[in-house]
Amino acid sequence: MFQNAAIIGVGQSAYTRRPEPGQTALTFMRDAVVAALKDAEVDASDIQGMAVASFSMAPDAAVDLAWKLGLSLRWLVQDTNGGSSAVSMLGHALRTVESGYATPILLIGGDATGLAGYAKVAANFNTVTQKHLAPLGHGGPNGVYALVAARQMKKYGLEKSDYGHIAVSQRKWAAGNPNAVYRTPMTMEEYLAAPMVADPLSRYDCVPVIAGAQAIVVGRSEQAPKSRPPVRVRAIRHSFNHDHQQGDGLQTGISAFADELWRMAGVQPADIDLASIYDDYPTMVLAQINDLRLIPGNDIAKFCRTVIANRTLPINTWGGMLSAGQPGGHAGGMNGISEAVLQLQGRADARQVKDAELAVVTGYGMTMYRYGGTAGAAILVRGS
Amino acid sequence: MSAETAGVTIWRCTNCGGGFFPEPLLCPRCHGPAFTMDTVHEGVVEEISVIRHMLGQENWQPRRIASVRTADGPLMTVGLRDESGPGARIELFQEGEAPFGRAKTRQA
Repeated sequence: MFQNAAIIGVGQSAYTRRPEPGQTALTFMRDAVVAALKDAEVDASDIQGMAVASFSMAPDAAVDLAWKLGLSLRWLVQDTNGGSSAVSMLGHALRTVESGYATPILLIGGDATGLAGYAKVAANFNTVTQKHLAPLGHGGPNGVYALVAARQMKKYGLEKSDYGHIAVSQRKWAAGNPNAVYRTPMTMEEYLAAPMVADPLSRYDCVPVIAGAQAIVVGRSEQAPKSRPPVRVRAIRHSFNHDHQQGDGLQTGISAFADELWRMAGVQPADIDLASIYDDYPTMVLAQINDLRLIPGNDIAKFCRTVIANRTLPINTWGGMLSAGQPGGHAGGMNGISEAVLQLQGRADARQVKDAELAVVTGYGMTMYRYGGTAGAAILVRGS
Repeated sequence: MSAETAGVTIWRCTNCGGGFFPEPLLCPRCHGPAFTMDTVHEGVVEEISVIRHMLGQENWQPRRIASVRTADGPLMTVGLRDESGPGARIELFQEGEAPFGRAKTRQA
């Protein structure tokens, strides 16, 4: 448990499928920063550190954003870990605040690539993708995770409708999130009737690319607004390149640290009140939940048909990226953390989970070749 | 389109003999720094997908890709040039540095 550091504010920009002229990743990030500073009741002039992650800032770098935001800093990080960047940046910030070097610290994630820009990112994600995948017409991450999903279905006896339980359940949660881009309830029949994108993945298995941004403020707990409890982090762990891309992709880097995470947090998987699981694809939601030891006996099919279908364990209560949209993996992962904070502080309005005290959040990303190579997870608790 | 060459290049660690694809800088098993290029000629299809839509592309024609366990080395993702399905033994070839596969035309 971090004794001094806590999450003291969260904020987000509007999410949109089609940005207006003049809206860029930087303007979305500014809007998220303004919202987070207001939420934390912190003046911009008090910010001592900043971390940012984005696919669409180039050629600007973190210091350019600091300049444009009018921030003079003693600590600056630019994170490049995609869907796990939010958890990575949170870990960096917590350790820095705890050490006393800088506080408060602003974490920012945001993107506005547009569809054409996203296609370029997907085809040029790294040199391996450029040389060995894009020439196949592999379809970007959709093609990569289609193969992982096929493997998962075979290994665990999953039906297509098992993934549908995730998409349908998260859409129900999204109805209570005014910032989600898709809020209309979806039936299983609609899910199953959706056109295939990359077999076995169909339309509602793939996150909608949107523009938007998220921001979080980390500081000493006494810097938190007095009107509500800060959110503390009992434990946080990260993994990078856990198996050298030589596994089956069905175990994420979370599997490398899950036992240590729970031990350091001093709680058990069964103690969790809600989970924010990085949901680039339903397949990877299940892989991460399984890695977290939340699925008894690794019976993923049963878990889908009972716990997820009945929403016994609240998962991705903001609708997840599948319904709220993916403003790049960086901000998408940050939204899951922000949602957990709102839930633990009793501020989630129509989607509030009753008596939520303990949450697990994850990040997963960087599809280096056959699946993602970065992962992180944290156990969040309502402070006093 | 690049010219087709038989087999797919892999990198074999001169210290431990492990075969890798894509090319590493240090061996992930023994951290040896030296590799020789080798060629793997066949593998077994484990999973396939049909890419039916490609973001940002109009008039896209569906393409097939596969996860392949190679006969002499690593797992790789290949473009499939025919209707080979899971369990099929395929021959491997490459265009430029991109790996492809199709049903074997003769017995090894």
